[in-house]
Amino acid sequence: MAETNIIGRSSHIRGRITGTADLEIAGLVEGTVEISGELVVAAEGRIAANLNARRLVVRGAVKGDLSATEAIVLEEGARVVGDVRAPRIAIAPGALLRGYVQTGQQAAAAPRAKAQPAAAAAPRTTNNVRPTAAAAPARPAPAASTAATARPAAAQAAAPSRSTPARTAPAPAPAPVSSNHTGPARTTSGNAGGGGAKAGPPAPTVPVLKKGARGTLQKRR
Amino acid sequence: MASTIIGAGITIEGEITTDDEVVVQGTVRGKLTAKDAVTIESGAVVEADIVGGPLAVAGSVTGNIHSSDRVDLQPGARVVGNVKATRITIADGAQFKGNVDMDV
Repeated sequence: MAETNIIGRSSHIRGRITGTADLEIAGLVEGTVEISGELVVAAEGRIAANLNARRLVVRGAVKGDLSATEAIVLEEGARVVGDVRAPRIAIAPGALLRGYVQTGQQAAAAPRAKAQPAAAAAPRTTNNVRPTAAAAPARPAPAASTAATARPAAAQAAAPSRSTPARTAPAPAPAPVSSNHTGPARTTSGNAGGGGAKAGPPAPTVPVLKKGARGTLQKRR
Repeated sequence: MASTIIGAGITIEGEITTDDEVVVQGTVRGKLTAKDAVTIESGAVVEADIVGGPLAVAGSVTGNIHSSDRVDLQPGARVVGNVKATRITIADGAQFKGNVDMDV
């Protein structure tokens, strides 16, 4: 007990977790987690972060890229939206995953290069789209579908036209964690169109566009 | 046990908010907000403002402490920052630099 590190169920951590020990997360974590021990995401755990560990066991909800130097195990009840890279990966029946999967030795080398820039980008992104990012992993599929259905009504008026083609990308949900500038606009409008998510923080009330942008859009139409 | 334990070998940079009890043995930078007891154990390094319930410090804290209950600085504790609490004890052997506000 004394040697286990636990992020408790009602804990909320925003930022960066690093270390050499094992860690169990049963709370809400946003940012990045990089440890060289075993990382367990408990069934109650909700993560909006890129995870990097020696061994990764997931039973909860994760939105973000997962990489491990040894193995990743998605157990029953796991809900993962993001890329998964490790030398060995196990996905149990009952685990939900949407994202790119890569096993093998080159996968162990790849995350090092990939995780660093993503880790740097994550805190900035979570500041912008924090509620969305946290809400999405709980119900990834509905969020994606509402993003598609809400497009004609809410997004056309609200979103800048350059983000509209980006919206048709096949995987809308994984993008925001390590996304560029069009990411926040896309998710925010999608989530607002779909109404409040069941789990997690409430939908963001931050307007997608600056004041006056809507006016210029309407004028152009 | 539903508490949050940040063990030795773990570093958290950012904001921690919790309703649980918190035990820190590792390193925390940023902000630590708890509704329940907070324990900073010997060897822990906290460079953060701490808001919480009863607080026991045996490690190093740099930052302001605001407790709704009591603050105990145990032997070996090293605290730099202001402390606001209803009751404060400073044990022999604890280092402390800062203001104390006890709502007299």
